[in-house]
Amino acid sequence: MKILSNKKTVGSLAVIALLCLLPLAVNSGFALTVMIQCGVAIIFALAFNMLLGQGGMLSFGHAIYFGLAGYVTAHVMNGMSNGDVPYIPISLIPLVGGFAGLFFGILIGFVSTRRAGTPFAMISLGFAELVTALTLIIVFFFNGEEGVQTDRWVREELFGITYGPDIEVYYLVAFWCVVSVAIMYAITRTPFGRICNAVRDNPERVQFIGYSTHRVRWLAFSLSSFFSGLAGALHAVNVEHVGFETVGLAQSAVILIMVYIGGTGAFLGPILGAILVTLLTSYLSDITPAWYLYLGAIFVSMVMFAPGGLAGLIAMHAPIRQLGSRCQLSMIPSYSLAFCTSLITLAGGVGIIEMLYFHSTTAVRDATMTLYGINLSVSSFWPWLACFALLCLGYYGCTKTYPRMVVTYNENINLVRERMFQ
Amino acid sequence: MEVFVFSLFNGILYGMLLFLLASGLTLIFSMMGVLNFAHASFFMLGAYFAYQISDGIGFWPGLIFAPLLVGIFGAIIERYGLRPVHRFGHVAELLFTFGLAFVIEEIVQMIWGKVPVPYDVPASLNVTAFVWQGLDYSAYRLFMLLISIAIFVALFFGLTRTRIGLIIRAALTHPNMVSSLGHDVPKIFMWTFGVGCALAGVAGVIGGNVLGTEPGMAIQLGPIVFVVIVVGGLGSLGGALIASLLIGVLNNLAISYDLSLYPIFSAFGIERDVDGILSDLVNLTTGGIAPLVPYLLLVLMLIFRPRGLFGMRDV
Amino acid sequence: MNTAIELSGVQKSFGKTHIIRGVDLKIKQGTIHAIIGPNGAGKSTLFNLVTGRYHVDVGKICLNGEDITNCKPFHIYRKGLSRSFQVTNIFPKMSVRENIRCAMLWNFGFGYSFWKSVNSNKHVQTKCDNILVETDLVSRRDMPAGLLSYSDQRALEIAVTIAGGSKVVMLDEPTSGMSASETDHTVRLIRRISSERTMIIVEHDMNVVFDVADYVSVLVYGKIIATAPPNDIRNNAEVQKAYLGTDFL
Repeated sequence: MKILSNKKTVGSLAVIALLCLLPLAVNSGFALTVMIQCGVAIIFALAFNMLLGQGGMLSFGHAIYFGLAGYVTAHVMNGMSNGDVPYIPISLIPLVGGFAGLFFGILIGFVSTRRAGTPFAMISLGFAELVTALTLIIVFFFNGEEGVQTDRWVREELFGITYGPDIEVYYLVAFWCVVSVAIMYAITRTPFGRICNAVRDNPERVQFIGYSTHRVRWLAFSLSSFFSGLAGALHAVNVEHVGFETVGLAQSAVILIMVYIGGTGAFLGPILGAILVTLLTSYLSDITPAWYLYLGAIFVSMVMFAPGGLAGLIAMHAPIRQLGSRCQLSMIPSYSLAFCTSLITLAGGVGIIEMLYFHSTTAVRDATMTLYGINLSVSSFWPWLACFALLCLGYYGCTKTYPRMVVTYNENINLVRERMFQ
Repeated sequence: MEVFVFSLFNGILYGMLLFLLASGLTLIFSMMGVLNFAHASFFMLGAYFAYQISDGIGFWPGLIFAPLLVGIFGAIIERYGLRPVHRFGHVAELLFTFGLAFVIEEIVQMIWGKVPVPYDVPASLNVTAFVWQGLDYSAYRLFMLLISIAIFVALFFGLTRTRIGLIIRAALTHPNMVSSLGHDVPKIFMWTFGVGCALAGVAGVIGGNVLGTEPGMAIQLGPIVFVVIVVGGLGSLGGALIASLLIGVLNNLAISYDLSLYPIFSAFGIERDVDGILSDLVNLTTGGIAPLVPYLLLVLMLIFRPRGLFGMRDV
Repeated sequence: MNTAIELSGVQKSFGKTHIIRGVDLKIKQGTIHAIIGPNGAGKSTLFNLVTGRYHVDVGKICLNGEDITNCKPFHIYRKGLSRSFQVTNIFPKMSVRENIRCAMLWNFGFGYSFWKSVNSNKHVQTKCDNILVETDLVSRRDMPAGLLSYSDQRALEIAVTIAGGSKVVMLDEPTSGMSASETDHTVRLIRRISSERTMIIVEHDMNVVFDVADYVSVLVYGKIIATAPPNDIRNNAEVQKAYLGTDFL
C-alpha cells in the first residue's frame, strides 16, 4: 500500500514538473494554444466522466454548464472593466465559472436526475436544445449570433501577471487543471464517490443500503457541473469570446467522444481522450478536410470493438506485465501482423476518403492532389483502383490476423489467471 | 380565416412528414429498445438519394428506389453495425447510433459538399393546384399530403391485418414476450430497422425538395422527432400521429400569426421600454419562441409524465 | 418481549389481481421467524411491502412500534431494517470488500460526504474484515463481485444485508439454488448472525426452516393461515391441506 502511494506521489510530482517546463521546451505559439485547449478539455472531460463513467448517466447536454459559465465569466470580466462588478483577480475567475455551473447544475439536475438511463439522456437533449434556442432569444445575456466578446486584461495582479501573453494563460490553465484533477480524483475515494459507483452498478440496491438514488445522482450532477463551469470559465479567458455553440449539442458531442475514446472505466481515461482528441482536431484539421469524419469513425470503432476505450485496452493488457518478458515478446509477432494489416486497410480507406473530399471540393477537372506524397489525378481511375485494392487486401488480411491476435491475448491472459488462483 | 386554413394545411403537412419519421423511430424503439439517434440521417439520405436519382433518371423512379436503397442500407447497418453492439447494452447502442449520425453527416458532406444541392420539385407537380381565398395551394404539397396519408393507411392496414403486423404490434408493448414465443427475432429486428429507415427515407424524398437538401437537415429535424415520440408516448403509433400533427400545426400557427406576447407582460404592468433581460422577453412573439416550444414540451413531459400522452410503456 | 415488526390488515393488488388479501402478523424481537407458503402465495410481495419497494393499498406496517407504511426504502433501512434479495442483487463491478463497505457507509455516519476519505475510519475497516470472516469471503475480498461463484454471491448478498448493523434482517430465500453442503454452511451463518438480531426468512427448503426457525408463519393466497413454532405447524391440519406436497410436513 505504502509503496503504491509513493509511486503515485512521485508520478504526480513528475507530471507537475513536466507541465511547468513544457512551454519552455516548445517554441511554437500554436503548440501553446493547443496545450491550453488540452488543459481545458481535460477538466471538462473529467467532469463529464463523473456523470458517465462513475455515475452511469449519459448526458447530451453537459455543454450547457460549460457554456453558461463561460457567458457568466465573460460578463463578469466585462463588468470588472466597466467598474460595474467588484474586482476579482483573473486567477480566481475560474471559481466564478465553477459556481455559475454549479448554480445551473443544481437547478436542472434536480429535475433531470429523477430519471435515469434513456429518459435522462433525452431530458438532457431537451435542455440542450432549449438553452440553444434561448441563446438567440435572450439577446441581453447571450448577444445572439455574435456572442459575447471579452478581454482578459483587467488589472495587473501579483507578480506582474496580466494574462496578456499566452504563456501566462497556459500556467493559469495548468494550475487549475492540476487542482481540478486532484480534487476530482480525491472525490472518487470518498464515501460519496463509492456510493456513486454503486448507483451506477445497481441503482435499486443502493436504496436498500440507506441511500437515496435520486440524491446521489443529483449531487454527482451538481459536482460535475461545477467543474464543467470551471472549464467554461477558463475557455472564456483563453478565447476571449463566448458564442452560442458553446452550449449546444455539438460541444456536448465532442466531449462525449473525448471521454468515450479515452475510456470511461478508468480515471485516466478521459484525460487520455481529451489530450488525444484535442491534438487530433488541432493538427489533423490542417492536413486533411476529412479529420472530423475520421474522428467520428474512430468513435464508432471504439463503440463497436473497444467499448472500454483506450484506457480499457491498456487495462486489459496490464495484467500481462506480470508474466515474464518471454511471454510478452511472444505476443509481438501476432500483434505486429495485425497492426500491419490494419495499416494497409487504413491506407486504402483513407486514400478513398481523401480523394472523395478532393473530388467534391475542387471545381477543376483533372486537378492533381498529393496523397501519401504521390501526385495523382483524381479523374483517372488508377488511384481509385489502387486504394480499393489496398482496402480489400487489408480487410482480408485483418480477418486473418485479428483472430490470431485474440488467441495470443487469451493464451497469455489464461496464464495470468492460472497464476492468480494458485 | 384563409390564413388559418392555409397555416393549418401546411401544419398538417409538416406534421405528416414528422409522423413518417416518428413512425419509423417508434417501430425501431419499441421493437428493439434502441433509440436511433441516426434516424434523421436516414431522412437526409433519402433526400440525397432522391436528388441523385432524379438528376440522372427522374423524380418518379427516385420516389420508389430512394426509400428502398435507404431501407436496405439501414438493414445492413443493423446487421453488421448495431447487432454486434447489442451485447454491450442500451447505452452502447445509443452511442453507436449517435456516432453513426455523425459519420453519415460527414460522408454526405464528403460526397455532395456542404452547400445545399438543387433537389427540386418535379416540373409536373410544380404548379398551383388551386387558389382559395387568394392563397395558392401547391400541387406538390397536395401530393406530399396524399403520399403521407397513403403510407399511413398502408401502415395501419399492414399492422392490423397481417400476421407480421400482429407480431410487431405485440412487440410494441411486450418485446420480451415476443422473443420468448420463438419468432426469429434477429431477422425481425433487421427488417424492422430497414422498414423504419425506409419510412424516414420516404419522408426525405418528398420533403427534401421543399425543406432544402443540405448536410445540416438531419440535425435540424432529428431532435424534433424525439420530441414527437416522447410526447406521443412510446409504443403508440396513434400517439405519434397525434403528437406530430399537434407539433406541426402549433409550429405553423405560431409562426404564421406571429402574435406578440406583450399583452401578457403588460398585464403584469411591465412596459415595452423596460431595461435588462425583460427587454428581450417583452418583445417576444409566438414566432420567436416557436423553436423553443417542442423542447419545453419534451422536458415537461419527461419530468411529469414519462410515458407520454398515449404511451403504454415508460421510456 | 417487544414486537419488531407488526403488519395490520395489509392488502395489495396489482391491477385486478389481489395478491395480499389482509395480512396480520407480529414478529417478536430477537427471534428467527420463517415465512413459508406455496408458490404465488405472495411471500416476495410481502417482503417488498415491508421494505418499501411497493406501496400498500390498505393497512399498516410498524417497525419497533414506528409506522413505516409506504416509507421510502432508504428511510426504512436507516431505521434499522435491511433485506436481501432472492435474485442476487449486488454491485458486480466493485470488489467484495467494496460491496460490504458500501453497505456500511450510511450507518457509520458517512452520509453523502465527498470531502472525507472513505479509508479514514479504521473502525469501518475492522468491521468490514469481521464480516468477511463471518461470511467466509476473506480469500475473495479483492475479486470483482460479478466474477464470484453463485454460492459466494449469495453469501455476499447476506454480507451486504448485515453489514450496516441492522437489528432487523429480512432474508429472501437465502439458500435458493444451493447444494446440501452449501445450504448447511448458510444455515450456520444464519445462526451466527442471528444472535442479537431479529430475522425474517422466506424459505422453500423445509429442512432449513425446521432447523433454524423459532416461529413459522404460513402464507396461502395472500393470507396468513397459521403462526406457531415449527413442530406445531407440522401438525396443523389447515397447513397440511393448503400446502401441496404434504410429504414434507
